[in-house]
Amino acid sequence: MLHIIYGGSGSGKSEYAEKLVTTKYIDCNKYYIATMKVYDAEAQRKVERHRNLRSGKGFETIEQQRDLKEALKSIDRNKKTAVLLECMSNLVANEMFDGDEILNSGVVAGKVLHDFDILCENVDNIVVVTNNIFEDGADYDETTSEYLNALGMVNEKIAAAANEVVEVVVGIPLIYKAAEEASVR
Amino acid sequence: MELIIGGFAQAKIEYVKSTLEIEPVIFDAVLPTVDEIRDSRGGQIIINHLNLWIKNGLCAGKNALELEREIINIAESCHDIIIVSDEVGSGVVPLDEFERNYRETTGRILTKLAKRAEGVTRVICGIGQKIK
Repeated sequence: MLHIIYGGSGSGKSEYAEKLVTTKYIDCNKYYIATMKVYDAEAQRKVERHRNLRSGKGFETIEQQRDLKEALKSIDRNKKTAVLLECMSNLVANEMFDGDEILNSGVVAGKVLHDFDILCENVDNIVVVTNNIFEDGADYDETTSEYLNALGMVNEKIAAAANEVVEVVVGIPLIYKAAEEASVR
Repeated sequence: MELIIGGFAQAKIEYVKSTLEIEPVIFDAVLPTVDEIRDSRGGQIIINHLNLWIKNGLCAGKNALELEREIINIAESCHDIIIVSDEVGSGVVPLDEFERNYRETTGRILTKLAKRAEGVTRVICGIGQKIK
């Protein structure tokens, strides 16, 4: 199964996603793929907050800021697995900005989706947390617009492939695509 | 408590007024005092622009927890209150730390209020969708 959990800043999407994994995939080996780079105290506080939310829930954490498919090296594929990927917006940003040059949106989206497909083919269940950053109507510079386009493309493609798409608004799930019992594998 | 949320300029307060059978008593970006609640004489107490009250509070040096306590106190002492707020978290995450914190804090406070609310309505283009 592939679940996409979408929402804005402070919407409660992480809590919802963690609850989904821990209640729906009790019998699976649970992995948490963390994509955020920790470069300052604020990011560190975010990490701590998320760690506290997850603590005692049986997640094994994999730090994977780029090259998503490399996370498979840390996943035991002989067991049933549930992967929580948090979050797509950081992964896309890292792929776009952390190389030798800033890549264009098509190249970045293509790379991320290719890696994501390989991950999906090799695990049983994935829950992806991704951000709604598209609704403030501001006119951004070219680089930011490229980033918005890249994340928009990725969101569209993974939502099309997903069994379930949920937007979390003030902690309340709004279902855009309802899950049917099927596996992504 | 009823919570009404939605983007900027979505006619949230107009929507709320259209649902009322009693006169609204609106507090714009401020919380009513105990006296003001008592003196509302059967009118419907509404806090509008809770997001701006949060922003002003953060500007004044209050933290997220203090603001959360204040608004929850009001909600508990005035059971029929309607709280209206912009949703501000669905844009590009700002580079400025204050702006970033304002968005996240607003989201977290609205999530807490939504949990306690009897009803939550999201307004888009003046149309209310009951989501709780």
